[in-house]
Amino acid sequence: MTDLRDPRKTFGEALVDVGEKNDRVVALSADSSSGSGMKPFHQRFPERHFEFGIMEQGIAGISAGMASTGKIPFFVAIAPFVTSRPFEMVRNDLGYMQQNVKVVGRCGGMTYADLGPTHQSLEDVAIMRTIPGFTVVNPGCPVEIIKATHAITDHVGPVYMKLGGPKMPVLFDEDYDFQLGKGVTMQDGKDVTLVGTGTVLSKAHAATGILEKQGISVRLINIHTIKPLDKELLVKAARETKAIVTVEEHYIAGGMGSAIAETLAEACPVRMKMIGVNDQFASNGPYEELLELYGLQPEQIAETVRAFLD
Amino acid sequence: MLTLSENDKQFLERKALAARKNVLRMIKAGQAGHVGGALSIIDAVTALYFKIMKVDPQNPQDPDRDRFILSAGHKCLALYSVLAEAGFFNKDILDTYGSINSKLPGHPDMHKIPGVESNTGALGHGLSIGVGMALGLAMEKHSDSPKVYVAMGDGELAEGSNWEAAAAASHHKLDNLMVLADRNGLQISGNTVDVMSYEPLADRWAAFGWNVRTIQGHDMNTLVETITSMPFEKGKPSCVILDTVKAKGLSFAEDNVSYHYWKVTPEEMEMAEKDLAAIEERLA
Repeated sequence: MTDLRDPRKTFGEALVDVGEKNDRVVALSADSSSGSGMKPFHQRFPERHFEFGIMEQGIAGISAGMASTGKIPFFVAIAPFVTSRPFEMVRNDLGYMQQNVKVVGRCGGMTYADLGPTHQSLEDVAIMRTIPGFTVVNPGCPVEIIKATHAITDHVGPVYMKLGGPKMPVLFDEDYDFQLGKGVTMQDGKDVTLVGTGTVLSKAHAATGILEKQGISVRLINIHTIKPLDKELLVKAARETKAIVTVEEHYIAGGMGSAIAETLAEACPVRMKMIGVNDQFASNGPYEELLELYGLQPEQIAETVRAFLD
Repeated sequence: MLTLSENDKQFLERKALAARKNVLRMIKAGQAGHVGGALSIIDAVTALYFKIMKVDPQNPQDPDRDRFILSAGHKCLALYSVLAEAGFFNKDILDTYGSINSKLPGHPDMHKIPGVESNTGALGHGLSIGVGMALGLAMEKHSDSPKVYVAMGDGELAEGSNWEAAAAASHHKLDNLMVLADRNGLQISGNTVDVMSYEPLADRWAAFGWNVRTIQGHDMNTLVETITSMPFEKGKPSCVILDTVKAKGLSFAEDNVSYHYWKVTPEEMEMAEKDLAAIEERLA
């Protein structure tokens, strides 16, 4: 039986943990506290939880001001509303001002499947990684969400962490060594490297199993930190397997695949295939069916890899 | 509330004159700058740094310091000139204005020069940042919580983000926060009320839960008495609407929108220096 856990609940519990360890941690809500899993933090630390209502541009600046007084604000809401909507505030007040704020976009990607593109975020990684000094994290399993929440609290500097909405399978043990900026080779292989991130890391993992059964030796890499990118690990994979396929719940333009292509084009050019959503606003409907519409289910990923290798 | 002695008043007026001279020095170096708004807010900034705020140029990162945010960052000539005059950095740096890698960019950068509290320039950011500072400082439960002052331009008030921050400030009862709204009446395209009307301005702030006073923005007595009366009401943020004159002090440029951004000519610089010399004579 697969161990499935709710990413928001997992994040919320981790936030209480980091709040216990560090009294400078504060939570900022845009009428989004319970939806973001922050209710336990609110109950445990009422004096460190601030509600602002629906004003994400305001909260971005407010978080910068609080950080300048030594607090470690977590600014958490639905992903597009903490990234594309207040982008200039995030860019200037957190990025340019180098403020120690943790922006967490929850229910990212196509989580709000039936609510359509207004509530989906398929460009957040693309825009956030353009901001100098920002770290961009996209955890791929509940254990990784916990580890990442601790790591970004300890890291001094602005961070964007993207979370999904639907329950995620556990892929790592509790004693798994998570380090910001360090990719993880989940399985070694020689024919192709499959790189997954975030919500669809589990799909890439399942696709790896399918391909192995068909005799294709796949190296599976988890890139939980998209910026800074683990160049060393990726160049080594490119050199040794000579083919890279990336998988993400994001636009192909500007996402993790793009980031890897930018790096490898200079350091070790190899054939690449990027799986994600092409240049269109995504449709609406049940989440798993939406993933299927854009080729992100394991069988589809495996098929894309096979076609790419032929 | 603090009332100025005649000596203190003259001291501040001389400091404001020195700051205006610093503005000309930078304009001379860079040959251009946003002079209009800088000279409408410069008297208030002088009063803040030389009489009102708890700041130490030798310890600019003191956690207990008061904070000043120049939300309308293009008025940075006012901030740089006062910071230099107060000793936050060597005045020689003023001569680098406009040069490559100057520590004094056309919009302030907190990581380039001591005393600057935030990177402004994009309008509609400063008040949110100020709300966050006021909130963070209030959490420390000082007996005398540091205060946060945010200077805003009147044209800037059209930015919607300001009103998000204004609502948050009163909701969270930030009486350690003050807005100084520089109503010089002009923005780059013309009269501010014609470009996008903000009147009745005092009522707008009041409707957002602020206690508001309107004063003449170039008189040191009034500035100091009003700003040091903060909070105007316990549990509420304070707003001072400053009725000011754009490019105040330069006779040929006052209240003239063409001097929002001044590309200086030698003739104009000569006139400007004469104007400041006349003020100096009056203060002597």
